[in-house]
Amino acid sequence: MTSICVASGKGGAGKTSMAAALASSLGAPVIFADCDVDAANGAIALGAIEKERTPYFAGPGFSIEASACTGCGRCFTACRFGAIEADNNTGLFSIVPELCERCGACVDVCPTKAIVTFEKQAGVLFVSEGRGSMPLVHAELEPGEDTSGKLVAVVRKRAEAIASNDSIIVIDAPPGIGCPVIASLTGTDLVLVVVEASSSGIRDAARLVELIVSMKRKALAVINKTGLDDAMDEKARSMLSDAGIPLVGEIPFDPALRSAEESGRTWAEIRCEATDSIRALLDATIEAIGEAGGKSARPMSATS
Amino acid sequence: MKSARDTIVAIASGKGGTGKTTVAAHLALAATKRSSVLLVDLDVEAPDSTGYFPSAAPMGASVEVKISVPRLNESRCTGCGLCAAACRFGAIIAIGGVVTIDDKVCKGCGRCVTVCPTNALEEVDARVGTTAMFRVDGLGILEGRMDIGDIRSTSVIEAAKLRAASQAAGIQVRDCPPGVSCPATHAVAGADYIILVAEPTQFSLHDLGAAIELAKSRHIPMGVVVNKDGFGDADVDAFCASHGAPIIGRIAFLRSRAESGAGAKLWREDTEIMAEMDHILDTALAGARSGGQS
Repeated sequence: MTSICVASGKGGAGKTSMAAALASSLGAPVIFADCDVDAANGAIALGAIEKERTPYFAGPGFSIEASACTGCGRCFTACRFGAIEADNNTGLFSIVPELCERCGACVDVCPTKAIVTFEKQAGVLFVSEGRGSMPLVHAELEPGEDTSGKLVAVVRKRAEAIASNDSIIVIDAPPGIGCPVIASLTGTDLVLVVVEASSSGIRDAARLVELIVSMKRKALAVINKTGLDDAMDEKARSMLSDAGIPLVGEIPFDPALRSAEESGRTWAEIRCEATDSIRALLDATIEAIGEAGGKSARPMSATS
Repeated sequence: MKSARDTIVAIASGKGGTGKTTVAAHLALAATKRSSVLLVDLDVEAPDSTGYFPSAAPMGASVEVKISVPRLNESRCTGCGLCAAACRFGAIIAIGGVVTIDDKVCKGCGRCVTVCPTNALEEVDARVGTTAMFRVDGLGILEGRMDIGDIRSTSVIEAAKLRAASQAAGIQVRDCPPGVSCPATHAVAGADYIILVAEPTQFSLHDLGAAIELAKSRHIPMGVVVNKDGFGDADVDAFCASHGAPIIGRIAFLRSRAESGAGAKLWREDTEIMAEMDHILDTALAGARSGGQS
């Protein structure tokens, strides 16, 4: 089993499109693990049909029973996250769900045991089947829910349970460099960094690269949307070369790539000006996956 | 937390890369014509707002964001394990009477310190990020920035919100992180109006649906700005109509705009866009739940 994580730092850099193109070009058995649980688009990119769904519970949350609250304010003092507020009219306290970190510090100090736990479904875990019978594991977190990092771990574990020894797991990471991104990168054999050739794309990718280096992951990079601003293309190349990340290829900005999503294909399967560049960089990435995975992985070169 | 004078407009999206930061920067610029304005960058994992204002001057040194994490006084620890049992974040492990603390995953709630019967835990500061102030063209910029390798983005977001409130700007424009989970939720909490930036693609619409739900669940008024209008075939209008989200502005896709956008150059001279920004700002302030500016 070999795993490759596609990440970018900045959102909208082309992670999902790149990951879908890579997954559909791998000859070996492949499993797509969509770890962008806030905004999962892998199923759209791969035309997936749902096969299985499991509710996801994040662990208990807290609420204050108004009938038992005396308004003493000890919970308010104990909470370090500003998640407890007083009602000006009744003098009673309540929990602001979006600020509550679910630590339980308030429970310990409440003299009337007015703070109760509740278990609420925080999301859904899906196993689906994409084009070419490719298994996809993805999830949807309920808007406003916490614990996206934990759900990423659940997605990866489910993908690993489906995988066989010669499987390759393609992980589509969320944007940013925080908890769910660290959960997506942990233990992967290879990271493909998608750098958008823009001021913010380069800044965000540089922060991601620093994280990847600190986590001692092996990485490759692709620069997306080149040809809009030559200075930015050059800046992206020098950022990567300074960081010692090998560049497998560049994809020119081409609105025709948009049509892939609309016509139910991936970047690997459409014909446009960017096609040759995409083919070449997919081949180079597939070769690197083979090397990273050692003898257990047997990726074939891109077919179709 | 919020001063009575501030009107807070949060720019969010669901999907990343739809143009949140671009809209936030231009909206903040447009707002300087009517009020003191603070652009608050709450995308603390990937803060890019200052990229649009290369001449922004730092106002003093950046301020460290710290949380309190426990440190074990081994001579007092009896190994009872109550701290480990109390910790909801898996930051404390007690095996065979030996307590180990992983302060990188500690959220600093202090519960372990409270439950320890022998006062064996004391609290020390742990840095999670910074906030920094900049000033340019009559505009204040407050940037939150999480340290690389840290996971406590929400602590940095809340620290930046608190510092923003102390600036007493008439209008705050918040550039929020993508997604709909904890960082995005913290970033929009307390806002008076949410602008959701979408692009006409299937990916964006799927994620926009979740962002609309988030705004609705928080009872914050919202409107959608369609960026890169004409770039894809997805029917944003029909989608927004069926989800009860009004479209309050549009930015047409032009290759020249993509080119200048790549280098984070402001579209100051683009009168069409700047007029649209005025219109979006008017709509947001009129629809804001505090009733906009008094």
